[in-house]
Amino acid sequence: MSTKTFKKGSSFRSLPWIGPALLLIFIFVLWPVVELFLVSFREISVSGLIKGWAGTENYKALLDNSDLSGTLRRTAIWLVVVVTLTMALSLPLAQLMNANFRGRRFLRYSVIVPWAASLVITATSWKWILDPYFGIVTRIIVDLRIAEEPVDLLGDPRTSFIVLLAVGITVSLPFTSYVLLAGLQAIPKEIMEASLVDGASAWKGYWAITFPLLRPAFLVAAVINSVYVFNSFPIIWVMTKGGPAYETDTTTTFAYKVAFRDQDIGQSASLAVGNFFVILIFIMLFLKLSKWKELDQR
Amino acid sequence: MLKRKLSLLSTAAVISLGASLALPLSSAQAEDVTLKLVMASYTDDMLPYYTDLITRFEAANAGIKVDLDVVAWPEIGQKVKTLIASGQSPDIVNNDEFAGEAADGLLYPANKIVSAATLKDIIPAFRDNSKYNGVEYAVPDLASARAFFYNKTILKGAGVTKPPATWTELKAAAIKIKAKYPDVYPLGLPLGVEEGQAEFTVWGGGNGGRLYNAKTKKYTIDTKEYLETLTFLKGLVDSKLTQPNPGKTNRTDGAWSLFAKGKVAMVNGGVFLPDWLSKNGGEKIKWGASAFPHAPGKTDITLGVQDYFKGYKANGRETEIRKFLDFIFVPANYAGFLKAAGGFIPATKSAGKLAESDPIIGPYIKLLPKAIFYPGTVGSWSACKADIVTQMGTAMLNPKKALTNIQKKCDAANAG
Repeated sequence: MSTKTFKKGSSFRSLPWIGPALLLIFIFVLWPVVELFLVSFREISVSGLIKGWAGTENYKALLDNSDLSGTLRRTAIWLVVVVTLTMALSLPLAQLMNANFRGRRFLRYSVIVPWAASLVITATSWKWILDPYFGIVTRIIVDLRIAEEPVDLLGDPRTSFIVLLAVGITVSLPFTSYVLLAGLQAIPKEIMEASLVDGASAWKGYWAITFPLLRPAFLVAAVINSVYVFNSFPIIWVMTKGGPAYETDTTTTFAYKVAFRDQDIGQSASLAVGNFFVILIFIMLFLKLSKWKELDQR
Repeated sequence: MLKRKLSLLSTAAVISLGASLALPLSSAQAEDVTLKLVMASYTDDMLPYYTDLITRFEAANAGIKVDLDVVAWPEIGQKVKTLIASGQSPDIVNNDEFAGEAADGLLYPANKIVSAATLKDIIPAFRDNSKYNGVEYAVPDLASARAFFYNKTILKGAGVTKPPATWTELKAAAIKIKAKYPDVYPLGLPLGVEEGQAEFTVWGGGNGGRLYNAKTKKYTIDTKEYLETLTFLKGLVDSKLTQPNPGKTNRTDGAWSLFAKGKVAMVNGGVFLPDWLSKNGGEKIKWGASAFPHAPGKTDITLGVQDYFKGYKANGRETEIRKFLDFIFVPANYAGFLKAAGGFIPATKSAGKLAESDPIIGPYIKLLPKAIFYPGTVGSWSACKADIVTQMGTAMLNPKKALTNIQKKCDAANAG
């Protein structure tokens, strides 16, 4: 009886403690989302004036936008290629960082430094490395006589997206390999040793023992990476501004261009609503996986 | 040390307390009115110019305070839109577009924000470009005209005796330059986001292309004239007679920088280029300026661009806006404005007379009758301009596709 009353009152009694947090979540998390949905159904003029409700006009305009299909295709490629290759490269890298050898500390530092640098700085550095007139890559290409004239890898739509993919992978590696390294360190050495004693090859031992035990860390890293990569704005914006034309846009940079170049805030908001749902799916996937991980560890 | 700081703080507190007590006494009859200004930064000299101007204005007009924001060109459009959308409308803005805001009913008509005398002194051609639906909604602040710049040393060395007047002569000259100086790009072609629309308008204009038809109220971009133009330019790019990446090259940090280093022989420049060259390491370049090469059988044009002062209705500061703008147009103040902006064509008749004898600006004033302007009086122009700029990125790979896309997006902006 007494425990029941305690439970009943507890949610109200705790309000003074959790109230401020709830308020902050409402103001800074939920309200902007509501506002985003509202804007996507509003008509906003080029000078930024709200003119009234637009119904589904913004969504229709978005579907009618001739550059949408290419952007969606590139976003899918961007997500799949960057995440897959990052994961594939991080596995051996984490293994190497976990191995005991001279210079391991140096390796770990050199992997973590790019992560510590701001994305804008990394992207700007790459932009200058690839600059057609002053960049070191151009210099190498011309000096080796691979090309007669300076080449602008970022200015040519045939190469620019590939370059961005490569840079996207480079900046995603540190986080992923450190998550995997943490996962590896949680695996007891005895298990692997036992498998070696039982006559399994190192390769077989890895796939039969290490990798399955690493799976929770691997999945979490993959999902978090997907969210980062999907939302990635600075790399593309700093290096190419989604250009030339729309040739390297993903949905995030495209939404920015629709809002501030085409000056169609409503259409841009409708695209952002779509982005929001994609992220929501990732987050739910993440929650599900982390719960599954908890169960797994019980 | 700490103590001293504390005592300083308390002294400051006492002073400010005293000040806040004293203030209501001195301005008992009228609350101070604050004018919010968002002004374009033509050069780094604009901020000191305005700071001085505002100090003198506030001294002469008790009760008016001025809140100044000088903003760089790439950001100013977005800044103004954000202010308007978030209900913090500025009172005066100086930038390059007005029609969209006039269409939304945000602006005072020009005759409300400057005196009749000031308005009468503005050059009529510029006033015509400031009308939306027949009403003047903006006051021109200055203008610019473009010219074709060339490096005299390189042209002479390559045996090109006079600057090219037609596309045919341009290509011939470029081939000669390339043959003589392999590491010089004969033509700088900055189709990048900074000024892609200017290149498009100038080259297309030389083939009879015009962006907008005022009679049908439609954009005329996906046309034979522009397709021929882009195809001609693509020919130059494919023959390696331009720098390698026109779609990504910006005007200032791309084409002009290369011109200042003697790596580009010919480039689209403006009345402000000589000033820029002298400040950016190009003072040794022996440049000449001539009319733009035009298509065979067509006539040459120049691109005129004008910017505006605009007064916003939202805060109801009509009287104060007029006082401030009339103050800027006082001849001595306006001369300072032009000087700080760095070599533009004046918008007033009085200042224009003086500038005609200026060795650098004078020739451009004579070019003005040949000038074509952006369709700045069309409400959707700023959106359309942005799309031209974006699509120029791949126009040299597929001209027809770029034109089709521009036409489609500009039509959509025009309709909505």
